[in-house]
Amino acid sequence: MNPKEVAAKLNEYERKLLLELKDRGASRTSELSLEMGLSKDAVEKASAWAETKGVISFKEEVSRFFKLTEEGEKYATEGLPEKNLIRLVLGGISELSKLRAEIPNINIALVWIRSNGWAEIKSGKIELTEEGKRRAEASSTDEEILKIMHDNLVTEKGLYFPFQARIPVLIKRGLVESKEEVDRWVEPTEFGREVIPYVIAIGNKPVITQLTPEIIQGGIWRDAIFQQYDINLPTPTLTPGKRHFISQVIDYIRRFWVELGFKEMKGNYLELSFWNFDALYQPQDHPARDLADTFYMKTPYSGHLPNKELVERVRLTHENGWTTGSTGWQYIWDPETASRNCLRTHTTSLSVLQIAKLKPEDLPAKFFSVGRVFRNETIDWNHLAEFYQTDGIVVGEGVTFANMQGYLKAYLEGLGLKKFRFRPAYFPYTEMSMEAEVWIEERQGWMELFGAGMFRPEVVKPLIGIDVPVLAWGPGFDRLVMQTYKVNTIKELYGNDLGLLRKAKLWMR
Amino acid sequence: MPVITVNLLDFSQLLGRKITIKELQDRLPMMGTGWEGETEEGFNIEVFPNRPDLLSIEGLARAYASFSGEKIGLRNYAVLNSGYIAIVDDKVEKVRPYFVGAIVKGVDFDDALIRSIIQLQEKLHVTHGRKRRKVAIGLHNLKPIEFPITYTTKPPEYKFRPLGERFEKDLKWMLTEMPKGVEYAWILHDAAEYPIILDAKGMVLSMPPIINGEYTRIDEATRDLFIDVTGTDLKAITEVLNIICTTFADRGASVYNIELRYLDKTLRTPDLSPKIWRLSNKYVSQTLGLELQPKETIHYLEKMGHSAQGGEIMHVKVPCYRTDVMHPIDLVEDVAIAYGYDLVVPIIPSLNSPAGEDPLEVFSRNLRNFLVGFGYTEIVTFMMSNREKLFTKMLIQEESIAETDNPKMEAYNCLRNRLLPSLMEILVNNKHHPYPQNLYEVDDVIIVDPSTEIGARSERRLAIVQCHSKANFSEIKAALESILDNLELKIEYEANGWDCFIEGRRLTGKINGVPLCWAGEIRPEALESWGLEMPVAALELNVEGLHKIFS
Repeated sequence: MNPKEVAAKLNEYERKLLLELKDRGASRTSELSLEMGLSKDAVEKASAWAETKGVISFKEEVSRFFKLTEEGEKYATEGLPEKNLIRLVLGGISELSKLRAEIPNINIALVWIRSNGWAEIKSGKIELTEEGKRRAEASSTDEEILKIMHDNLVTEKGLYFPFQARIPVLIKRGLVESKEEVDRWVEPTEFGREVIPYVIAIGNKPVITQLTPEIIQGGIWRDAIFQQYDINLPTPTLTPGKRHFISQVIDYIRRFWVELGFKEMKGNYLELSFWNFDALYQPQDHPARDLADTFYMKTPYSGHLPNKELVERVRLTHENGWTTGSTGWQYIWDPETASRNCLRTHTTSLSVLQIAKLKPEDLPAKFFSVGRVFRNETIDWNHLAEFYQTDGIVVGEGVTFANMQGYLKAYLEGLGLKKFRFRPAYFPYTEMSMEAEVWIEERQGWMELFGAGMFRPEVVKPLIGIDVPVLAWGPGFDRLVMQTYKVNTIKELYGNDLGLLRKAKLWMR
Repeated sequence: MPVITVNLLDFSQLLGRKITIKELQDRLPMMGTGWEGETEEGFNIEVFPNRPDLLSIEGLARAYASFSGEKIGLRNYAVLNSGYIAIVDDKVEKVRPYFVGAIVKGVDFDDALIRSIIQLQEKLHVTHGRKRRKVAIGLHNLKPIEFPITYTTKPPEYKFRPLGERFEKDLKWMLTEMPKGVEYAWILHDAAEYPIILDAKGMVLSMPPIINGEYTRIDEATRDLFIDVTGTDLKAITEVLNIICTTFADRGASVYNIELRYLDKTLRTPDLSPKIWRLSNKYVSQTLGLELQPKETIHYLEKMGHSAQGGEIMHVKVPCYRTDVMHPIDLVEDVAIAYGYDLVVPIIPSLNSPAGEDPLEVFSRNLRNFLVGFGYTEIVTFMMSNREKLFTKMLIQEESIAETDNPKMEAYNCLRNRLLPSLMEILVNNKHHPYPQNLYEVDDVIIVDPSTEIGARSERRLAIVQCHSKANFSEIKAALESILDNLELKIEYEANGWDCFIEGRRLTGKINGVPLCWAGEIRPEALESWGLEMPVAALELNVEGLHKIFS
């Protein structure tokens, strides 16, 4: 920056300071404070700012000061008690009883005259030694020091050398206290001197820092200069109100499916096993239906199966394939098991419920859902009992496996993924079954993202009455959100730590 | 899902050529297995539950030989007649009704085969066998067995010498003292008598599904085997028998059948002949969105170990170990896998249908965005909760709520019927962060409702907590009124409400005469029970109720 620009960025105090220093050279801030009529604090603050702009240099020097204590000040005016005592003795009063009345703190005085060897106490009388007599007449070093320091700050260096030696004794006696003081010296830098002429040029024009209604109304700004700010200076951190990142992602996913022409489907969290499993052609002894994985309800324990005709078709399909062309699972299907309530383990329960509501004339149809699903897990850093899933179905004559890959490719690209693949997988209710995987550069490996497939005829035909292809998928998106937000564990993802939420970036899709 | 360990050298020998880990890592997943990583001697692979035939290294090598084009088409497995007979006593009906068996001869038991068979048996027991309940397998030295054998039941005091024991023990002992017996005793829990396989001399081959007899112990010298499979499902045990027999056959053994005499039928097992399925080429092409000629389809089927003949309508011979094929669609998937999932060109079809979001979701999003304007932070909490959080800590009287029967963790054993406790918990978890902490959530609670098909329904709610040193009633009431003003709704207040709020500083708000909101200052007793030292003013609103007014 050139000197002119810098001059414009100086605030009022910084400019004053620089002008003050113009002819002075290095100065103490305490002196400047007096000269400029500002508090020392203000001068130092201005100096510190000015230093960041490179116009002045700023040095600190620590010096030691001495000062009388309250007791010291008292003795400075009244005299040291031991001196007062020996003077009285020299003047002829030697009985302790009389002296007590004259000298209020005689005990202190007695200690000192004896330790100094000035007097002896014999049968209630004080007898001065030779030293004592001499001392009574002369003024002592300590008295000199008290006199000098009376109402005055004295620097260590400012004291006559023999006096310096007495200071520790006086400090010990509690008459003198020492204080450290920091002297701050400021001086214009070379660059600062180049800036000074521009500061002078600003002259007496008012310089505006905060623009106020008064300045605007009064027109003061017309003749004023705006102090220019250092835009790199840090500003306070704000914590604005914010949507939760998972909630932002859910909004995005919803928008994404709607833009692709999908209609939202809604449904129950608590669901009949019928809709969660049986209607998906999951045999009743399938391990996924175990208590170990699925939450079954105590209250409400079970519900009512839907219309008889549909239930009968599902039963026959499980048992012998009904008219679907399948062999079925070949076991006896139990309606009790199907009417047991559970917490939905996937939002695919919504998809089958939706298909059951469709009539052949409603086709083609595309539906999506976003919602929570539940798994009976022992909760730890990487397992939760509930998380989100987004299901999608496309129902219509002529939709194909290639179409399914088309929709899911769009979904993955929509989430910003570049390298992914589809590989064969297995789900009891789809055929083709497919797993979408994404390439994780750090791990140099494929990570499973979600399953998808075409519903088996054994799923579709009992629900809608005809054989029609249905594309279906049920991605969770926790891992993707974790990657985006650099959250390492799924527990943190749903932890609602305000530190994390306040810092979390906006979802930008 | 089961994971099997494969020795690379053994796999290469079965395949008949050298193969690299790299190739397998790339290609095996595309055949329909999960790559679980390299090991010192080879690799681990996850087998999907529909393909138990891949649980043996022999089966995996067989499938890969076809898939990679080296040995395509159906493999024929010959079954010779052993002339042996097994009698199935009707006493087994109540406890473990089904039994099938086979003889394999000329088995060369080397380390690789032993490892593979043990692994196969173990994995089949766990998956297809539902921990031996549905299917259990026994392998025996054929030599000592004198036919006919009998599958029957014996009382708990019946004795024989189980495998690995020095003396005879009774059946009761095996279920209560022997570790394997204790582990599987649940399968036979309420039986009066237990399943036993005896030979003509009355010697015990096995007590399925618990343990074999010492009598038919297999050792290095064993060349000929008798295999028994018992269980609760004839289809499942037959499938498992086929998988085991074909595994031995792939190692060069010969397979012989036995005759099973049930009271009402006579069976011969194993039957390793293929099943025939009728498949339309048009169905395959249309389902996949690929324009395949019949001979291409046939080629892809051959790459999956089938053979097929015909034109537009073809007849497909499906090998006996492919227990998953139950509909032509399963063959369509095989064609897709052989074609290559990665070679399909993804296409979004032109398919018009009505689109749009659920109106309640739109309303909820508008509310969420509106509340951000108040400077509130949105949180997303769990629906699962417990009674302590919902009632005890809130000082609210217990209510009927939706509860789970079998939670793994008691902390998550029911579903919330209010949002507010969830928000309180988040305040507690964030005590180390700066205040004010003003939070909101718009999400669902579950209300028990016997009038519904399931007995409960969800309800969309909104809750706000304002937590800072000056949080108070008037602040939260102001927020409530601002929300309602912006929805142009009129509210009538009642000076009562939830017990978590201070009396005289709480309200119930009625809209069109229906109570839809509750607000107030949280009682210090409740703050104390949560462990909060900061005042909290809170509000809960029935969003679904509000939304009904507009729709």
